[in-house]
Amino acid sequence: MKISRRRFIGLTGTMVGGALLGKPAKSGAEYKPKTPPDPFGCLVDLTVCVGCRKCEQACNQVNHLPSPRVSFEDPRVFEQRRRPDVGAFTVINRYYGGKRDERNQLHPTFVKVQCMHCQDPGCVSACIVGAMTKKDNGATHYNASKCIGCRYCMVACPFQIPAYEYHDPLFPRVRKCTFCYERISKEGGKPGCAAICPVESITFGKRRQILELARHKIKNDPGRYVDKIYGEHEVGGTSWLYISGDSFEKLGFLDLPTRPIPYLSETIQHGLFNYLWAPLTLFGILGAVVAVINRQQNRSSSESVQEGHQPDQDTQDTAGLQEKPDSSKREEKL
Amino acid sequence: MKVGIKQKKINMMAILMAVLVFSTLAVGFSTNGNSSADATKPAKPPKKSTHPWEARQEAAKLRSAEVVPLIKELLPETPSQRRARLGDKVPQIEDIEFSYFLLNNPILEKEEDLYGPVRFMHKKHAGMLNDCFVCHHHRSADLQAPEITRCSACHQTSFNPEVPERIGLLGAHHRQCMGCHKKWNKGPVGCTGCHPKNVPSHKELVKLTANPSPTDVTKECLRCHDVQGDEMLTSTHWLWKGPSEFTEGSEKRVDMGKATVTINNFLVHLASNWPQCTSCHAGYGWKEADFDFTDKTKIDCLICHDTTNSYKKAPLGAGMPDPDVDLFDVARNVGKPNRKTCGECHFAGGPGEPIKHGKLNPFLDFHSTSCDVHMGGLDLQCHDCHKTRNHKISGRSLALPVAEGSRTCEDCHTPVPHQGKALLNHHLNRHSEHISCTTCHNPVYAKCGPVKTFWDWSTAGDKSRRPKKDEHGNPDYMWETGEQIWQEKIKPVYAWYNGKAKRHVLGDKVNNEGVTILTEPTGDIKDPNSKIYPFKVMGGRQAADAKHNYLLVPHLAGPDGYWETLDWEKTFSLGMDAAKLPYSGQYKWVDTVMYLSLNHEVLPKQFALSCVQCHPSLRTERSCGQCHMDKRGLNFKNLAFSNIDFKFLHTREPDTQKRVQSTDYIDFKQLGYKCDPITFGGRFKQLPLGWHSVSAEKNE
Ligand code: SF4
Ligand code: SF4
Repeated sequence: MKISRRRFIGLTGTMVGGALLGKPAKSGAEYKPKTPPDPFGCLVDLTVCVGCRKCEQACNQVNHLPSPRVSFEDPRVFEQRRRPDVGAFTVINRYYGGKRDERNQLHPTFVKVQCMHCQDPGCVSACIVGAMTKKDNGATHYNASKCIGCRYCMVACPFQIPAYEYHDPLFPRVRKCTFCYERISKEGGKPGCAAICPVESITFGKRRQILELARHKIKNDPGRYVDKIYGEHEVGGTSWLYISGDSFEKLGFLDLPTRPIPYLSETIQHGLFNYLWAPLTLFGILGAVVAVINRQQNRSSSESVQEGHQPDQDTQDTAGLQEKPDSSKREEKL
Repeated sequence: MKVGIKQKKINMMAILMAVLVFSTLAVGFSTNGNSSADATKPAKPPKKSTHPWEARQEAAKLRSAEVVPLIKELLPETPSQRRARLGDKVPQIEDIEFSYFLLNNPILEKEEDLYGPVRFMHKKHAGMLNDCFVCHHHRSADLQAPEITRCSACHQTSFNPEVPERIGLLGAHHRQCMGCHKKWNKGPVGCTGCHPKNVPSHKELVKLTANPSPTDVTKECLRCHDVQGDEMLTSTHWLWKGPSEFTEGSEKRVDMGKATVTINNFLVHLASNWPQCTSCHAGYGWKEADFDFTDKTKIDCLICHDTTNSYKKAPLGAGMPDPDVDLFDVARNVGKPNRKTCGECHFAGGPGEPIKHGKLNPFLDFHSTSCDVHMGGLDLQCHDCHKTRNHKISGRSLALPVAEGSRTCEDCHTPVPHQGKALLNHHLNRHSEHISCTTCHNPVYAKCGPVKTFWDWSTAGDKSRRPKKDEHGNPDYMWETGEQIWQEKIKPVYAWYNGKAKRHVLGDKVNNEGVTILTEPTGDIKDPNSKIYPFKVMGGRQAADAKHNYLLVPHLAGPDGYWETLDWEKTFSLGMDAAKLPYSGQYKWVDTVMYLSLNHEVLPKQFALSCVQCHPSLRTERSCGQCHMDKRGLNFKNLAFSNIDFKFLHTREPDTQKRVQSTDYIDFKQLGYKCDPITFGGRFKQLPLGWHSVSAEKNE
């Protein structure tokens, strides 16, 4: 009897879970990504970048960031891998993909890291007050005056980009690359880093066009590039695109799914909140279960303790499911 | 070398003779000269020029401002197709219209102001690559358009959606330059290798109150530039001594320099004369031997980094600034050194007036190529050649042992400096293996002002003697320093030089038989590393200890110095005390000679020596045709006499009259050749037809 009851409860759980999980698949067809119609983008050609860090310097100036601890001319910073933080919205890291030059020296590849300005950003969907928004020109824009400091965006970002001014006790802000929103909103404006790059490793333009350019480059020089445009499909596509001569795994790029981050999280939330029948069903079933159990408890008091916590377990399961998108994101990040 | 020394003796004698003749001549002339004051003629800018290369920098600036229409369509062809299409019309180096560019097109948007424009030696690069199509890699689809176009005709603003595959001008320049420099492992790849770095305005950065003390300023500088302070503490501009890797026998020493053992035949030596000499020290208050060289706050940052042109040091102030200088203003306007700041000391070597070197002088700060093509015509600053890192400035001199790296013409001009396929270039490039660039390109020194070539201390002290003025208005006598010879437009002395020098230092024995040579280039006709270089030879008569046989250090300035007491005994005893060497109490006058290198005042080809000026054999009717068959319709005579012969220089510098038409410019015998190498063979090469080279003969 005991076993059959447990099975029953397990089955109920599966049913509820199944109903919830089944929902996204169905509601996915109705899922509306925030992808702007014709955004700007940047193409970083990693085979061209010389690691001069002028982009870091320009970013620093454009955004009025504090002067760096290590000067922009000091190549010793490459000894450590860095992440963008509150003092630097973009950083250059050096990788050795294994290629050697004519003089048998390992050939470095420099990788620029900054907010990718996802087409359909996780941070935007995670932000509960609308401080993060996706603009039509492609910028994922942060509005400090709306921000309540919950830092959900930081958790939601698959690239771990947003940083938080923990040092500021009064008005801490989330900080990340702005895609030079103000500058590119002007006619002919370019992001600071793209404008300064002396070798034009960064090409700025309409995403559509630079994607074409990237394809053209790879097709024209297949020996120079690996056949992949990073950011074309990753998390639903990003405004920043990369082409490279080394495989992207060797250069610290994450292997991410092609589904936008919000696709999962939002549809689940929507599944929960839009389709009210689901919780109703859930609680209905739970109520039925409790009723059955209570009836059984009345019959046999000796079994009551064991049975009593079963419903709890069930709700925990459901809660676990709700959280699942986040935890899966964390895995993807690693 | 024997021959060389003999010749030097002869030179010396010639100089002494000249002194005699000159002073005798001078006696009979005007008597109204009044000592040193007249010698300091205010530097007047030489006349404005109209010659095309003279305003080269200006012309390059104008060219760099031109914006041409964008070529949108390119002719789709491979390089070999292009060559095939052009046949023998493939462009050559001779087709180059402009050999020098300033890469400063307005298309290169300057949002940031980190660096200044690049100076691009177009012809040099063309000559090295020998293929115009490496850079000029495409042409317009319009076949009527010229075959070669400038970079900015195809590469303009970046990210132009009309030509999305085309990179902008900024990227094009950098990729082309860095790509090649990396590939060939030649030329600079770092930013400052090509660009001068711009210094941000320090107006807001410098936090000083009005009327700061000199050390206040230094402390303020060190607030951000502490590392640079440390760099200065080990620099030769601070220590006045340092590595002497180009001094023979002292290659590993680091203690030689003005501060210690260097002695010359101008004002002789630093010891006991600190406040005067150290008024050119990059520090404050080196009054005595025990100056604290570890105290960063004593560094004088402003003497090099002033941009207001108002900073100067007090004449006898041990390096302290002139009290009239507004330090607050100067400190807020610091920037990169320039010809003025370097010149503050280096155009005043001698001292006070530019009389020492031949010839670093304030004229170099005016834009005139007849003084110096680099600083005049091309507006180069000192540090453009004297590359500096960590406050260590490269460059070597014969006058001083210290060197923090060296610079040679070849660093920029390559060992094959004459570009083009013409036969003359081939011959000139062969010359570069045996003679320095300056031998031809600096045929007369002290072009833009007189320098002292002789200084006789033994005659000093006669306040009653009336100085005579020479043809340039310079006095032949000053009671402070004695008799002197001034000269302008001087033909250099030529000698073999392999980059190292022999030095006589404080305490070395003088030559009792003849002239004591204080600095001398080492080198030999048979040493393949030696080349013929031009030198200024400075003659002097100075005191030596009659018993110990070493040169004496006079204590000149100050209340107990010679210029107050006129007492040589006391002067030498105080001087030698400070120099920490015993003085026997007896002195004698000895003749000394210093060789000084002539690396500045370089002239362009229009002023350089022609073939015939050194090779008399080419003056004959058949000229080169004596050996070569004249098949190519070449006029050998024209070639050998081409453009030069000082006629042009003469039009600019009247004083060079006496040089016009002069041949036998170089005395080959004195240099160790049997005779003109054209007829007798080079130093290593045996000529056919039975002529022997000199070295072959020597070996026999
Ligand atoms: S990279 Fe991160 S911070 Fe930038 S848009 Fe995407 S999710 Fe947002
Ligand atoms: S400015 Fe350009 S070349 Fe320099 S580090 Fe940034 S992306 Fe690379």
